[in-house]
Amino acid sequence: MMLPLALLLGALFVFLFVRAVQTGQFDELDTPAIRAIFDDDTPAGE
Amino acid sequence: MTAFTAQPIAETQTSAEVACDHCGLPVPKALYNDTAEHQFCCHGCESVFSILTQRGLDNYYGMRRALERDRARVERDDRSYAILDDPAVLERCSIDAGDGCRTARLTLEGLHCPACVWLIERVNRIEPAILDARVHLGRSTVEITWDTASASLAKIAEALHAIGYPAAPARGSDKDAARRLDARRQLIRIGVAGAIAGNIMIVSVALYAGAFDGISHELLTLFRWVASVLGVLSLAWPGRVFFRGALAAIRTRTPNLDLPIALALAVGGLWGLANTVRGVGEIYFDSLAMLVFLLLIGRFIQSQQQRRAADAIDLLLTLTPSSATIELGSGATETIPADRVEPGVTVLVTAGETIPIDGEIIAGDTEIDAAVLTGESKPAPAGVGDAVYAGTVNLTAPLRICATSAGSETRAARLMRLVENAAATKSPIVRTADRIAGWFVVAVALLAVVTALLWLPAGIDTAIEHATALLIVSCPCALGLATPLVLSMTLGRLAGSSVLVKSAAELERLSSPGTILLDKTGTITTGRMTVAATTLDDHTARLVRTLEAASTHPIAKAIADSGEQANATIENVQQHTGLGMTGEIEGEQLAVGNAALLDQLGVHIAPGTAAWADAEAAKGRTPIYVAVNGANVGGLSLADELKPDAVESVQWLARSGWDVRLCSGDHASVVRGVADRVGIAEHSALGQMQPEDKLAEVRRLIADDVRRPIVMVGDGVNDSAAIAAADVGIAVQSGAEASLDAADVTIQSRGITGIRTLVEDSRGAIQRIKVCMGVSIAYNATAAGLAMAGLIHPLLAACLMPVSSITVVALAVSRRSARKGPTP
Repeated sequence: MMLPLALLLGALFVFLFVRAVQTGQFDELDTPAIRAIFDDDTPAGE
Repeated sequence: MTAFTAQPIAETQTSAEVACDHCGLPVPKALYNDTAEHQFCCHGCESVFSILTQRGLDNYYGMRRALERDRARVERDDRSYAILDDPAVLERCSIDAGDGCRTARLTLEGLHCPACVWLIERVNRIEPAILDARVHLGRSTVEITWDTASASLAKIAEALHAIGYPAAPARGSDKDAARRLDARRQLIRIGVAGAIAGNIMIVSVALYAGAFDGISHELLTLFRWVASVLGVLSLAWPGRVFFRGALAAIRTRTPNLDLPIALALAVGGLWGLANTVRGVGEIYFDSLAMLVFLLLIGRFIQSQQQRRAADAIDLLLTLTPSSATIELGSGATETIPADRVEPGVTVLVTAGETIPIDGEIIAGDTEIDAAVLTGESKPAPAGVGDAVYAGTVNLTAPLRICATSAGSETRAARLMRLVENAAATKSPIVRTADRIAGWFVVAVALLAVVTALLWLPAGIDTAIEHATALLIVSCPCALGLATPLVLSMTLGRLAGSSVLVKSAAELERLSSPGTILLDKTGTITTGRMTVAATTLDDHTARLVRTLEAASTHPIAKAIADSGEQANATIENVQQHTGLGMTGEIEGEQLAVGNAALLDQLGVHIAPGTAAWADAEAAKGRTPIYVAVNGANVGGLSLADELKPDAVESVQWLARSGWDVRLCSGDHASVVRGVADRVGIAEHSALGQMQPEDKLAEVRRLIADDVRRPIVMVGDGVNDSAAIAAADVGIAVQSGAEASLDAADVTIQSRGITGIRTLVEDSRGAIQRIKVCMGVSIAYNATAAGLAMAGLIHPLLAACLMPVSSITVVALAVSRRSARKGPTP
């Protein structure tokens, strides 16, 4: 039967997601993106 | 980074003053081209410059200048970090990390790019006591864990400073932790709700397919049970927030949107469960789980938006230094925490340092970079008597400042609170939505009962079935989601363009055109006076300037600075407040002031001067009369330049249907002159308005019930009463403290384009809310009708529910791209 397996997989991913959130992986969504590119308009001059 | 430093080289034939526009080296005389706009030291530089400019990359030069300025700031800044070792400060800004280690969050200046992150996270090679350094670029902070046995926090900060990043303890760490936990909880709820909704959908597809094509009884029961268990899970775990909100609403008897949502969830859930147990009828868990998921997403976006607005100003706050150098009576200095500076204390600020408190300059002439407060990147000159604010940077010369407020009383701190409060208060439209929600519950419940009664002849099952379908499909998504979403997004975006709105209620008021009262000086004009014309001969003019130099009044300063002064001593200087000045110079009695001063002194204004003064006033200039030995010898006129965007903004407001009026303490003819230049009708320009007159005018407009809202825009202490009395009070730019508190909206940027942005965004937001409400009500009415007629098939409900929510949320969010025109 595939159903329990599917649900089990779902539960596993939910568990992993909750773990990820609780260890702070989603606390900071901006920095990694900014790390990758130099923001164009940060220090515009006079 | 040192590549940009101009190295003085002793080349022959250089025109010492001219630096190459690309590399900064001196330009050789042979290559100097006095007709060209830019000068270069070699052809290589010239081609690089032209390539960059042609490709639109000239922003490079702006960035380079900004970086150089930052670096210069750091280099000149020899701030002391000893304050960080004060046990109280240490306790407040760091936490015990065990094993003799502590963790502190520091805000860094000059944190720009990945290279900075790379450098800072390797700072332990310079200061081995640092065990771990994690940078948060978005907030310009670093979290440092260090070994307290081998180094103090001051030493850590010095190490960071040494590599070019002045550090200060980050503020609000406790609040930040709470917010982070809250965000995590919200995310987990969304994740769980999403996973459950997805899984139920899969099961439901099987059920719906089975309903059309046939399905074995065991399989049907199994799927129904699986869907039910998952659905109950969704309601009980992530969906719990709605029930909690609804309970709170019942307990405090203030209806809110959680109420109808909770009702739909509860009834749907219970009846679905009952049907599962009985094995007949519809289960609604697919719709319900999806509903929980979507509503949670909406709430998350909303809270993130509010947080971002607060973050922007939080950053500004943390950049204010935590310590201040104060001057003791004996001339000695002492460094104390900035928030312990008492008003009246003299604070010393070296060149390049960030000013730690709000105060008034008592010695020193400098340039101030107020970019953090105003967004204006060009430094402004400041001298004795000028007010300076915590968080701004003293660029060129050391200052002595008399503190007026410190810590949580500074302008920056108050702005912060303003924005926080805005996020916390409910606007009328949200309250309206809440109130509607109250009626909604009653109406839907009644309709459900009616439906049940109507269908009772067909059997109790069918009756409950249809009533439940009605309850679920008419769950008020738009009210619950769209309204707060649109409002908080608009507030966040406005805060991004330096327009701080105290509460969302102002957006609603500003959404339809009414009457707007503009103050003249400092609002549509720059507030800086210059001498525009004069009828005086050179000698008299010189004497006048000498006399005026004795005063610090802005008008006197403008006159004194307009040219050369005589080398003579002045005696018997008297300032006549609101009138002018008198004094004795080279044996002559001099009087400089307005018509009232001359009147008071018994001097008649010469007919020629009077005619000239009228002509000047008609141009919007302020005439000043000069009398020597009791006879009027002429006058001079002062112009207060219009802000560059004044004409355009005023005309835009007028075109959009606003009744624009001008009021000012200046002479009526001057005000009319300015009104004429910005395109305001003469009869709408009121002059000689004392503060109480402005207040009376606002009150009169409100009482007369002319077109509401009555908006008052001003900047001075003068205007604060009128600003507070108006429906919407707007304080512009350098707004004095008093008007900052009284105002509903504070525009931080120079110029008044902010008013236009504000009005435009308010209108857009309210329109969007109306569209969302309309769509949602139309949808709910249709769905309710269909449900009452018994036509809502559960499949239809399952499709309509998320589609309607998504439509409405998409409508709410889509305004992001609809903003027209550039914002300066």
